[in-house]
Amino acid sequence: MFISSFMSAPAKTVTPGTLLPEAREIMVSGSFRHLPVVDGKDILLGIITDRDIRSAFPSEVMDERERGEYLQRFATLTVGKIMTAIVTKLSSKATLDDALILFEESKIGALPVVNEVNQIIGILAINDLLTAYKQLFGLGVRGSSLIVVEDDGKPRALTRLTEVLESKQVPFTRLIRTGGSGWNSNGNNLIYIRIHSYNLSGINHALADAGFQPVVPAAQ
Amino acid sequence: MSPQKTLFHISHSRYLQHETDGDDHPEIPARLEEVNCQLQRLARTNQIICLEPCEAERRWILAIHSNDYLLRFEETALTGHSYFGHPDNRLGYYTYEIALLAAGAGLAGIDLAEKEPHATIFCSVRPPGHHAEKSMALGFCFLNNVAIAARYWQDKYQRRRIAIIDFDAHHGNGIQAAFEESPEVFYLSIHEHPTFSFPGTGYAEENGTGAGIGMTLNITLLPGAKDTEVQNAFTRQIEPALEDFKPEVLIIAAGFDGHRLDDMSGLAYSSMLYRFFGQEIAALGRRHCQGRVITILEGGYHLPSLGESFTEYCSGLLQSTEEVGKCSSVAL
Repeated sequence: MFISSFMSAPAKTVTPGTLLPEAREIMVSGSFRHLPVVDGKDILLGIITDRDIRSAFPSEVMDERERGEYLQRFATLTVGKIMTAIVTKLSSKATLDDALILFEESKIGALPVVNEVNQIIGILAINDLLTAYKQLFGLGVRGSSLIVVEDDGKPRALTRLTEVLESKQVPFTRLIRTGGSGWNSNGNNLIYIRIHSYNLSGINHALADAGFQPVVPAAQ
Repeated sequence: MSPQKTLFHISHSRYLQHETDGDDHPEIPARLEEVNCQLQRLARTNQIICLEPCEAERRWILAIHSNDYLLRFEETALTGHSYFGHPDNRLGYYTYEIALLAAGAGLAGIDLAEKEPHATIFCSVRPPGHHAEKSMALGFCFLNNVAIAARYWQDKYQRRRIAIIDFDAHHGNGIQAAFEESPEVFYLSIHEHPTFSFPGTGYAEENGTGAGIGMTLNITLLPGAKDTEVQNAFTRQIEPALEDFKPEVLIIAAGFDGHRLDDMSGLAYSSMLYRFFGQEIAALGRRHCQGRVITILEGGYHLPSLGESFTEYCSGLLQSTEEVGKCSSVAL
């Protein structure tokens, strides 16, 4: 659940004095879209994105003379001139949920990860977060399937359900109970379980014996 | 009175010896007993010729599975373990031998199809195969019977362009993995959407890799899908794709667990859909492959539905058969 297992480390970085053509080359050659900016002791100072570089780079539609002048100027600009200095960042002890909330709030594509003295130790891109949740949810792993049962509102539903799965030695990676949205025609909530077994028939019967009604999920 | 039509049924009594002991395991010997009962129904109006295959030679198995995997599989069976890799994959002492016999059915079917191109051939086997990968047993499957058959057809008879149609309710991850880089084997699977269904693979976006891009067609159906959706997909996607591909032969991975009474999937097919499959597949075989089609059993776990669907499928194949020459018993 900690981002440290999913971030890219060490992160490729630049300094405020790095010239923009060099930063651009680092991004292109490494397929990076975000570069943390650090000082000589790896202390995080800011971040520069491919969008920042594109904005500073002379447009293809300029006339040749004007573009040449811009290119000369671009070649002398440093990262420090265009970087974003106030950086949203994650600590090394941050969880995936912390990252999810920050990504959603900040609308940015990557978050630098720093230690307790603000030194860069990695970077977490939104795609890394997707990969992490995909793994946690057991998606794309051969051998899983989704079982859906109706939440009958009786006490200890999740306890009873996990007892059934554990007694049958069925591994599962996702257990979600929908809340208050009336997901089926009876107005009851549903419980989704991603199990790692093919014996769906045996599991359905065991769940039915424990009082759970299997549901065939339908698109709304 | 129209002439009797002939179904070649390739199966083996030893398939019943593959034990999956346990009170709730759905892949049980009674599945084939049910199929055998239905054969008697089919025999009222058709000639049934029953053939027994030999074990597939190791070299054909090795075309799909690794040697190390085969050794582990054999050792696991012979040393009294109750499952291989995952508790789903229950086995008994004889399972390894029987899996070789199951793989042999497809090869026997191919030999027959080469001698009698318009023969209607159904291989009733267990254990099933389409989830088994090169080095992994999965979903009750140990050896990938269909994939082994496809390689055999290519290597022994130089039938390079092979189409595999898989109408089991579950995606045949093992078949896809075996051929996803091949430009010569076209894998077409129609199955319940992988978000809901085992094994969690077979998204529509998976369409092959490398030289095999475009040679995988995954058609996904939402839970509750009925006959009409399948029929539309068959005529609008599968048939045109095969028209372009022009296969030399067809192999069918026939699973009957999409039936509405089979709780191994959320699909809601009727038995009659399987007659549709039989008719369409026989027609495709005639149109593209001079009738060279073999069918190999995969899933289907609700016994009455399995029996009824099997009968409808075979009836569809036979109904559509234009008998070219008279089929006769062929020594294998």
